[in-house]
Amino acid sequence: MADLLPLLVPLMLIAVGFVCGRLAERKHLARLCQREADNREFLITQLKSFPARTVGSEPPQIVLAETVVSSDYFKTSVAKLRGLFGGEVRSFQSLLDRARRETTQRLVEQAQHLGYNAICNLRLERADVGGSTADKKAAAMVAILGSATAYHYDQGSS
Amino acid sequence: MIITNTETIAGYHVTEIRGLVQGNTVRAKHAGRDIAASFKNLVGGELKGYTELLTESRRQAVERMMAQAEQLGANAILNVRFTTSAVTAGAAELYAYGTAVVVQPA
Repeated sequence: MADLLPLLVPLMLIAVGFVCGRLAERKHLARLCQREADNREFLITQLKSFPARTVGSEPPQIVLAETVVSSDYFKTSVAKLRGLFGGEVRSFQSLLDRARRETTQRLVEQAQHLGYNAICNLRLERADVGGSTADKKAAAMVAILGSATAYHYDQGSS
Repeated sequence: MIITNTETIAGYHVTEIRGLVQGNTVRAKHAGRDIAASFKNLVGGELKGYTELLTESRRQAVERMMAQAEQLGANAILNVRFTTSAVTAGAAELYAYGTAVVVQPA
């Protein structure tokens, strides 16, 4: 039994990571889908100009949002295994996707909160937070910085 | 002060360009957050502590940039960009830069 212990611990961590990570991811994705459906009317572009702009009460204004999503033990292990054989690392792909979508929704919600109904020039970039990339041993996390300019637009004219 | 990440502002004319303004900050997260994050790395999910850290850093960098723009007598900053770099493990630099201008409603 004592000989098995070093093997048992990583296996248990993988199991915990699998169950908790799956649950967290599913909940997050469901929440994102809900919010995206709620904000469908909101105009998001990454154009540098202001499409269909109208004169609102406030001048255009920058909005900022950031999200840091962590990997789980299962995903990290799977990715390490992928590193041996090569190929698409799907476990991290969903991580990046979730972080980007979450950041976008936060930008939208912030702009709405400030009384705007559109954002343009949306920029998403991955931040370099010390620890994730500086130290290869640390488990992966994805930090996304988002910025956009909020303005008023008229749905009728485009 | 009007701050945008676009090159122009709809409804406003740029009358004067005052030049580049910038703000940066290097912030570290305290050990408690690091420990909480390493637990989160097992089970997955959002690292709220780090998100907060980034939000604070961004706000600080933008405030410093705004202070510079005010000193130059500008009333708007256009084309604002952000970059980050990992200085050491546990500390991240956030750098904000843009062009300070004087604008007038068109």
